[in-house]
Amino acid sequence: MSSPEPIPPPNDRRSSRASSAGMDTADGILPVGGPPNDPSPLQIRASNSLNSKNRRSTIAKQPPDLHLLEYVSQPDSNLVCLICHSPFDRPVQLFCGHFFCRECLDHAWCAQQEGRKTCPTCRSRVDPEKDVRPVPKIIETMLDELVVKCPNAKSGCGWVEQRVNVNDHVMLYCEYTLVECAQHDCRLHISQKEFHKGCLHYTVSCEDCHTSMMKKDLEDHQRTACANRSTNCLHCDASLLRLDLKTHIKDACGKVITPCQGTIVGCTFTAERAQTNLHEKSCPMATMAPHFRDQQARIERNEARLEPLTRKVGILEDGLSSITNMLYPANDSASTFPVTNPWIPTSPTPSPSNLVPTPTSASRPPRSHPYPKTHRSPFTNPSHPFDSQVHHLLTLHESLRDEVNRIANALTDLEGRTNMMVMNESQRTKDDMLHTNAAINGMRHQLHWLISATLQQRNSTRTAANAASGSTSGARQGGSAARQGPSAGFHAPLRRLSDSTRQDTKL
Amino acid sequence: MSAGAKKRIMKEYGECMAETPAGMKINFDEQNMTKWEVLMDGPDGSVYAGGHFKLEIIFPNEYPFKPPVVSFRTKIYHPNVSNDDKGSMCLGLLRPDEWKPPNKVVAVLRLIQSLMVEPNIDDAIEPSIANEYKENRKEFEKNAKDWVKRYAK
Repeated sequence: MSSPEPIPPPNDRRSSRASSAGMDTADGILPVGGPPNDPSPLQIRASNSLNSKNRRSTIAKQPPDLHLLEYVSQPDSNLVCLICHSPFDRPVQLFCGHFFCRECLDHAWCAQQEGRKTCPTCRSRVDPEKDVRPVPKIIETMLDELVVKCPNAKSGCGWVEQRVNVNDHVMLYCEYTLVECAQHDCRLHISQKEFHKGCLHYTVSCEDCHTSMMKKDLEDHQRTACANRSTNCLHCDASLLRLDLKTHIKDACGKVITPCQGTIVGCTFTAERAQTNLHEKSCPMATMAPHFRDQQARIERNEARLEPLTRKVGILEDGLSSITNMLYPANDSASTFPVTNPWIPTSPTPSPSNLVPTPTSASRPPRSHPYPKTHRSPFTNPSHPFDSQVHHLLTLHESLRDEVNRIANALTDLEGRTNMMVMNESQRTKDDMLHTNAAINGMRHQLHWLISATLQQRNSTRTAANAASGSTSGARQGGSAARQGPSAGFHAPLRRLSDSTRQDTKL
Repeated sequence: MSAGAKKRIMKEYGECMAETPAGMKINFDEQNMTKWEVLMDGPDGSVYAGGHFKLEIIFPNEYPFKPPVVSFRTKIYHPNVSNDDKGSMCLGLLRPDEWKPPNKVVAVLRLIQSLMVEPNIDDAIEPSIANEYKENRKEFEKNAKDWVKRYAK
């Protein structure tokens, strides 16, 4: 990184800038500048802009945007557009009397529907054709006379003049206006002042601090920013590196105005450091100062340690109060336990935590807690433990646990009862099922009997057809049928009979 | 967001700094100036006194032609603030159809402060809280103070 020569030869420039493009031919034709076949966003923008046609004319100047100008003094509030809050730029007047920048008005209107344009201030209907009027000449003059800084002030231009001239200044005279680089294939911008020096868009490294940057920025860097350059102290003319300047001014410089060390105790002496040092030798307060500082640090440490302790005490006391509440739950809630009240005199209404009933009368609790009251009073700490979320969560947790216990008990109770019910029910269902089974069995018997009866009937018709052989078998079958019951003709009475026998089982 | 809009936000910030309404602090990040963080104390005399509320104001890209979006990052028991983790607020000049480009952030901040003193019941986003405010003011005050203690200390 240490390149000793401030301006490297053309070969170095190309290799440092265009190494990624891999174009090592035509060194003579393209001595400087970036790789043209690798368009940067800047180049794309440049080719899209209106200026793309006359890019080679080295003009990249944009007329200054009046909205972005910096005004030397606060402009009169009557000259300020209500939309952009800057002094008007090409103002127009609506018939309702409100003024806006032309551009702001167009912005406000582009969101509104055609034919329903309204005044942004008073919302009265406006016809963009007829109702937009130019503003009085005197307003324009007042605007022109506002004093502004050059928009290039950040780059170093000190031009300060009336606003009417700013366009001419930026477009014609300002040395710091950016123009396109003189090198015809370099599309970066450079200030007009350095235009004649040729293309400065190649990387160099600062010889003092070895930071790499573009050549055009090097001078500026060395003049104002480089940490390894020597500079002069503003106060005592001592020459030292910029790096050390801050510590020098803070601790060493004899000309810097410093107060006596005893200021923390009350000494009001303030003078240049050399004199202050002399004064401190004789100032009793300066000799006391270190001790006071120690004490202060110790107090701060202790206070920091006290903070968690007070919180803890608060939580414990809250636990205690909830225990008390549990022990004596039947007291009237009107005499509230003043858990929070002693320390918040500004909140008279009870919070949920101090709805806790007291074990004794209302007058007692304040006396029973005198210690925290007197102890806490010096620390009027706005966030004390009783209001903390932890406290709230703890009480919430406690009540939730009770609730859960209650619900669990109820559940077991309910479960037992449900079990009993289910068992009873299932017993009855079982009985029913037995009955149904018996009924089904009976029906099956009946069906058997019926089928056999039908078969028998069929047989008997067949026997009636051939009577000779059938007389003996018919008699035999008739006998068997008589044994079982009446034949097919007597079905109904038999069924009713079987029904009536089952009457008791059906319910 | 256009440079003009950024400039306007910068100006409004300067204005807010010059005349910050009492009990308010604005955290402004120059890198992301479209998001302001406002620390607001509960106004004295209101139920929110003693609380510290964090608000967020987000400026849309179309600002100042669209209203800024205000939300309470600290939970607050208020009829005009939605009771969810967004804590959004949408009423009066913050409504898109009510917003006018000439309105200023200072006015928005003042509106919020005045709403904390006196909620706007007719324009409530939380009807249950609004009802409580109308019919059982004591209960409302108790709940609001409880929330201040719980969330806004």
